[in-house]
Amino acid sequence: MSPRRWLALPGVQGAVCVVLLLLLWEGASALGSLKPFQFPPPSRIAAASWEMIVAGFPTGTRIGTHALVTIQRILTGFALATVVAIPLGLLIGRVPALDQLTLPVVTFARSVATLSLLPLALLWFGLGETSKVMLIAYACFWVMLTNAIAAAKYVDPVLVRAARTMDVGGPALFFKVVLPAATPRLLAGARVAIGVGFMVIVGAEMIATVAGLGALIMEARTFYRTDVSIVGMIALGLLGFAFTAGLGWLERALLPWHRGLAEVRR
Amino acid sequence: MTRSRSREIALGVAGTLAFLAAWELAARSGPASALFPPPSRAIAEALAKLSLATIGGHVAVSLGRIAAGFAAGAALGIAIAIAAGWYRTFGNFVRPVIELLRPIPPLAWIPMAIVWFGLGEASKVFVIFLGAFFPVLTNAYRGIASVDPTLVRAAQTMDVSGIALLTRVILPAALPDIAIGLRVGWGLSFGVLVAAELIAADTGMGFMIMNARQTADVGVIIFGILLIGLAALATDWVLGVAIRRSVGRWHAV
Repeated sequence: MSPRRWLALPGVQGAVCVVLLLLLWEGASALGSLKPFQFPPPSRIAAASWEMIVAGFPTGTRIGTHALVTIQRILTGFALATVVAIPLGLLIGRVPALDQLTLPVVTFARSVATLSLLPLALLWFGLGETSKVMLIAYACFWVMLTNAIAAAKYVDPVLVRAARTMDVGGPALFFKVVLPAATPRLLAGARVAIGVGFMVIVGAEMIATVAGLGALIMEARTFYRTDVSIVGMIALGLLGFAFTAGLGWLERALLPWHRGLAEVRR
Repeated sequence: MTRSRSREIALGVAGTLAFLAAWELAARSGPASALFPPPSRAIAEALAKLSLATIGGHVAVSLGRIAAGFAAGAALGIAIAIAAGWYRTFGNFVRPVIELLRPIPPLAWIPMAIVWFGLGEASKVFVIFLGAFFPVLTNAYRGIASVDPTLVRAAQTMDVSGIALLTRVILPAALPDIAIGLRVGWGLSFGVLVAAELIAADTGMGFMIMNARQTADVGVIIFGILLIGLAALATDWVLGVAIRRSVGRWHAV
């Protein structure tokens, strides 16, 4: 292919753009037009990444340790939320009266910003792990609950009626018809919930901890190590991306007949 | 009003009252604890400690920050989405950069926001801006990129091109997606508010509750949580109505 044809490929154009930006950034910082404290050049960020891998920041706490702490907090909160929200949401979604009773409370609780619970969580659960896990659990819970309610509510009534005519009812109806039909939306909800968990964890780690990626980026700034902050940001972005992509992959692997659920309510 | 609709409302009211009554009873029946007040006492305490003018001031400051950050995020998001959809090459260049930055949570930018914009208003507005910018941009771009090509070709056969094609055909067709982006972005702006107001603030609803933590004023905290929730709910409702009025006439949103 001629160079012109190469440059016409969208992926190549994107890569060129990213590389050019990085070079420009590095050059501007070498010439002194960007202050390295405010815009640590890519070379400094690369060096800081290496430092985070071998030595760690604060000294001894390597990037892997921070990442593991953060992942553990998110997954614990996510698991707690899911275990309660899925059965409860499926129940609410199958019983219209229950759905109407709970709708205002669910709508309100969902619009409560999770981080506004931060001061309450700190007073109730102390400065340790519990308050962080509970915040993640709260955030994930309402996402999972609303998706589980919708999942059970919008099961195609034809499927249910068809099963009934074949004398399928009770638990068999639930496990053989409702649950499989609800699964795509449950998985889509899980993907959104994990994403929300990654948003909230940074706020939860802003206070009273030095472990975790959120704590790392805040702590590094107070020591004028913005290069380390940016390494933490990149790690958070990569992890968040990997988890949502992983769940998307799981969705496609488990439900090959169901190609993507475009419309997902948060 | 139909019967089923009024039944729905009655059940909703009953559910809300039952929830509040359960909370009130649970808090009153246990050992009297300052950490878990019943809702009535929490609100009474908050109103006794803070004047209505103070509370109103915090609400106004927070809403102002959200409005500023959201407006900037939405405007820039839509502008970039249009440019990236309109000029394919620009889109090919800018999309990878956006896709690389998008997974970074808005709150993770707080240290850099402080370094770039200082401890004043600008850094708080910047964090809120990030909350709105990415969802608005990605939804608007999806809407613009997935406009039915038949519409565009039909318009072109009628000699519609350039700006007219954009404003009369592409943007109206993309409006439902833009509307979704705006609502998600508005929600996220509220979601990051409290954390943004942790940055050296002395006003705003986020400051109000974090300040109450210092003195363990659970009443004020609970009142503030309810207030932030209500503000988010009410403004989202207004946004929803405005969107339905402008878009919903020919699209189901």
